[in-house]
Amino acid sequence: MQSKMKESDPILEVENLYASTDNLPILKGVSLTVYPGEIHAIMGRNGCGKSTLSKIIAGHPSYNITNGDIKFLGENINSLEPEERAQSGIFLGFQYPIEIPGVSNLEFLRVSTNARRKFLNKEELDTFDFEELVKEKLEIVKMDHAFLSRSVNQGFSGGEKKRNEILQMALLEPKIAILDETDSGLDIDALRIVASGIKKISNAQTGIILITHYQRLLDEIEPHYVHVMSDGQIIKTGESDLALELEKKGYEWTDNFIKEN
Amino acid sequence: MKIIEKIKTNKSIDNQTEIQKICLDKLQSTPLPNLKSEQWRLSNKSKLSDFLDYSVNEKDPKFDTPFPKTSQSTIRLVIGENCQINLIKENFAIKQLSEDQLVKYIKEQISCFDQNENWSDLLNLSLNCAKNTLGLKISGSEIPPIEIFSHASSNTLNAKTLVICLEKDCDIDLLQVNLGKDNSSLSQSTFFFLEENSSLNHGVVSYGENKSNLLNSLNVIQQKNSEYNLGSLHYKFSYARFEIRIKQSEGNAKTNIKGMQISKKDEQISTYTKIDFNGPNGFLDQINKSLADDKSHAIFEGSIIVPKIAQKTNASQLSRNLLLSNLTQIDTKPQLEIIADDVKCKHGATISQLNEEELFYMRTRGITLTEASKLQLSSYFQEIISFIPVSKDRWDLLDILLNEN
Repeated sequence: MQSKMKESDPILEVENLYASTDNLPILKGVSLTVYPGEIHAIMGRNGCGKSTLSKIIAGHPSYNITNGDIKFLGENINSLEPEERAQSGIFLGFQYPIEIPGVSNLEFLRVSTNARRKFLNKEELDTFDFEELVKEKLEIVKMDHAFLSRSVNQGFSGGEKKRNEILQMALLEPKIAILDETDSGLDIDALRIVASGIKKISNAQTGIILITHYQRLLDEIEPHYVHVMSDGQIIKTGESDLALELEKKGYEWTDNFIKEN
Repeated sequence: MKIIEKIKTNKSIDNQTEIQKICLDKLQSTPLPNLKSEQWRLSNKSKLSDFLDYSVNEKDPKFDTPFPKTSQSTIRLVIGENCQINLIKENFAIKQLSEDQLVKYIKEQISCFDQNENWSDLLNLSLNCAKNTLGLKISGSEIPPIEIFSHASSNTLNAKTLVICLEKDCDIDLLQVNLGKDNSSLSQSTFFFLEENSSLNHGVVSYGENKSNLLNSLNVIQQKNSEYNLGSLHYKFSYARFEIRIKQSEGNAKTNIKGMQISKKDEQISTYTKIDFNGPNGFLDQINKSLADDKSHAIFEGSIIVPKIAQKTNASQLSRNLLLSNLTQIDTKPQLEIIADDVKCKHGATISQLNEEELFYMRTRGITLTEASKLQLSSYFQEIISFIPVSKDRWDLLDILLNEN
């Protein structure tokens, strides 16, 4: 399976990435390559740089890349704006999806979807056509139509916010989705709905990076690779059994690994 | 003194009305407001002087409104344009106040005026003749929405006065539109009297053009069990000053205010409010939002007065301000004066910039920074705009106007 995937070009290449915010170094040489069809999991303690890595790939303006490159579909995207990255197919699912009071969820989804469609040279959708499309995608995350008339994420429960993220992913059809702790704050049923949604959306042409603390999401979506991050670096990479080992032994085990190396 | 001379020498005011004479007399002693007083100290002196610089005009300027009339049932009145109405239907009546009634009512108001605080009203009433004054008495229910327009013409100073008495149990939606023109000044004074159990949903939309100025004064007296809801929007004036004075004369009344002011370039737009609780169980929920860009200056000064008699008052006043440029100036001062000891009152002010995390979230969905900022601004407006009693079509128009910003 692995060799078949690697017959094609990588979707994302992070090469020896160093980044900082307010002159504080956060990433200290991260390298990661994702090929089409691959699912990667990144695990690690709080503050090890997992979320920062996801934000930097998405283009957060508060972080500076001090060294290294991010390549998407072979092109260096270090200097691209967040919207340019999103339009070209990079999706970031937020750990804490932002509430935007006063902006209707439906309109927000439509504007976002049309921005991506425009990039793909597809016809932009009017309100009626978009309603049809969104109705179909709502099924994937088992969301009620009523959520569309609310303001973006406002008054949503933790689980509803995460489902709304996956709905956005379904509409935007990204080439790569980085899902930052999508499993946090979800009960067992919601976790299954979200996981099943992710599986339905992903395919042999897309890549997924799951950032998580727990094995429970990885029980639902089995990753091809598991990376352990510590202090702004990927300190160990393995297959899905690495996550099980980490669950069993805890992060202290990775501390020992750092000492040994 | 220049303004007094101007009024006195104005040929069109040969026959001064009784009200004009009273107000002119008062203005003789204070031709200008005390610019060191709390109410006027932040007012841009040169802009106030520009306001007074135009010659007084009493002729009807050509009325050219972008507000479409969408509903047959809406009653539209334009102050100054031979504005006559006498509508008596099965469920309601809208009658014009007679001149005697009007004079009596305004004289009562003047007797309570504070020379400095009500300077805008004194100026308005001394400039204004009967033709530019509209007085209405409204009663009944199922009343169609009413729109009242006041407008200025270029290179002149125009004064319009509106007096409305709502009788017991009356319930209306009223949209007041103040339109400025190129190089003009508009003085608008409004007086509402809400009898017991009456309810008024009042919208004020004021927008100007290049170098237009506005002094907009609103005086409301609420009897018990009345409800007054105000949604207002002021923008595109070189100088605009919105003064709101509300008195819950016996307490037991409800007031909701949601105001918005937008300033750009070197404009100065200010809102001054004074809410006076003169009885127990009064309620106020007020939010004033300002959006200030470029070198503009936005001002909010609010005071809530709760004397001993106003026990169990529940009042909240919040000033929210959005800074879009580092050259902008914002002054905000929500204040409480509380003597009563059994009340629930709160006030607060925030000054912030566009929310970076909201912007980033939208950008990660492919929405450009410009579009994301627009969406964020429109969400900032929405709470206020949706409170203005206007129909959907007018909503679209407001959207277009706001998007020009």
